[in-house]
Amino acid sequence: MTDMTDDIRKQKRFQFTRHSPTFRLEFESTAAEMQSRCPVAWSDTYGGHWVAASHEAIFDIARESEVLSNDHDVTNTKKGYHGISIPPAQSQYRGGFLEMDPPEQREYRQTLNTYLSPAAVNRWKPFVEALTRSCLDEVIESGRLDFVDDLANIVPAVLTLAMLGLPLKDWDIYCEPAHASVYTPPESPDFPRVMQGAMLMNQRLGEAVVEIREKPRPGMINALVNAEIVGATPPDHELIGVLTLLIGGGFDTTTALTAHSLEWLSEHPAERARLSAERDTLLDGATEEFLRFYTPAQGDGRTFSADCELAGTQFKEGERLWLSWAMANRDPSVFPNPNEIDFDRHNNRHTSFGLGIHRCIGSNMARMAFKTMLTQVLDRMPDFVTDPTGAAHYETVGVINGMQHLPATFTPGPRLGASFAETLELLQRACDEQRLAEPVTVRTASAKIG
Amino acid sequence: MQAWVDPDKCQGHTLCAMRAPAIFELSDIDGHATALAGDLPASEHDAVREAAGSCPEQAITLS
Ligand code: SF4
Repeated sequence: MTDMTDDIRKQKRFQFTRHSPTFRLEFESTAAEMQSRCPVAWSDTYGGHWVAASHEAIFDIARESEVLSNDHDVTNTKKGYHGISIPPAQSQYRGGFLEMDPPEQREYRQTLNTYLSPAAVNRWKPFVEALTRSCLDEVIESGRLDFVDDLANIVPAVLTLAMLGLPLKDWDIYCEPAHASVYTPPESPDFPRVMQGAMLMNQRLGEAVVEIREKPRPGMINALVNAEIVGATPPDHELIGVLTLLIGGGFDTTTALTAHSLEWLSEHPAERARLSAERDTLLDGATEEFLRFYTPAQGDGRTFSADCELAGTQFKEGERLWLSWAMANRDPSVFPNPNEIDFDRHNNRHTSFGLGIHRCIGSNMARMAFKTMLTQVLDRMPDFVTDPTGAAHYETVGVINGMQHLPATFTPGPRLGASFAETLELLQRACDEQRLAEPVTVRTASAKIG
Repeated sequence: MQAWVDPDKCQGHTLCAMRAPAIFELSDIDGHATALAGDLPASEHDAVREAAGSCPEQAITLS
């Protein structure tokens, strides 16, 4: 490659402000403009970084792990890279294996794969069904609920804790900080309180690591404390970063997907009726389409670890790049009518779980939890109507395209089983007695609930 | 028609098995896919094409 001056390399420029409230509102036109005009551009914002906006460019760049680094050098002892956040996040922890490179990253994933593979996740189905049933029972007689607070926040949280091997009743200790730390910007007056909650959560996780090391119980934490990563036992602060990643990934994203999909279905009752009636053939396609359209995790940052030329652009070592999964998912050259939701869409090779070696490790769990919540809502409150005045979308979607609240009304119905509190106890007993959180290599049988 | 999953490209997205469950098998350990060896029945060709087109990593080769 012939060397170009920076002016020529960075000739294509775009003022990319994904953390601003207007970005969310102008997302479709921004994506279209960047795709037709760039599709890779330099932006001066957030310390200066590249943005990849077309599906082709993102596909070509994201899988080049030889020249991309996810490393977050929090101790500033390596190359000083900043992980996946743009602008850099002020943190004393690396964001788990999402902020690591191979071989470390690969070894962490190998440690956890047997807990999160499709076969491993399937065993939890009866657990999630009972949990979802009890959440809906709490509200079914009243004819009103908040889909976020009463359902979509709870199910992924309790399931994640169960798989980690943490006490289920603690779900609300982790729930608020896990969501609020995503949607509260640093300049918000609420930020110090949210950070305090997050610190408390980390402290709890640290205690759990110590506890499980001394008194093993099945779950991903147990696997992590016994893991050997690049020849050594990982230090506790590294494990806390991994657990924070699993909680962040497990909680907020599935909530975001579920809430947005339910809101769309309320606004499209004919499509909702069709999805419900033909779910055997439509549910998979609809799920992938909601994933594509809403892209809960909007993108990831990377740092170039070597000079390289990709997607027609010359990059220099140390430069940062934002891979916009969200914009890739709206690229008309891969997805005809990209801004429409089409349950029958063909060749839906969306990027919502990322591409390449960092593919979301929880994707199977997310799909299963989402499908369970969705089908039970369709069965038990088929005429639900969401309230647009109460619906609260995250004001900024720089990280997660989430929702804080989604109130709805529906025709009341009868309870079907035990209360949420009783169900939580029942599920805890099932976890303990059946050792549900063992890896699939140890336990292949499905959970038996009640 | 034959199908082959490139193990270096497959990242275990599982879309292939969703589209053509009779043809693509997912590892219990990590969810990575392998395709049934040999000639695939004509009744599966559409589903297999859809599977290949849906693979986010474009790891599936048809011949
Ligand atoms: S869809 Fe592609 S990446 Fe996913 S399991 Fe199948 S072959 Fe692998």
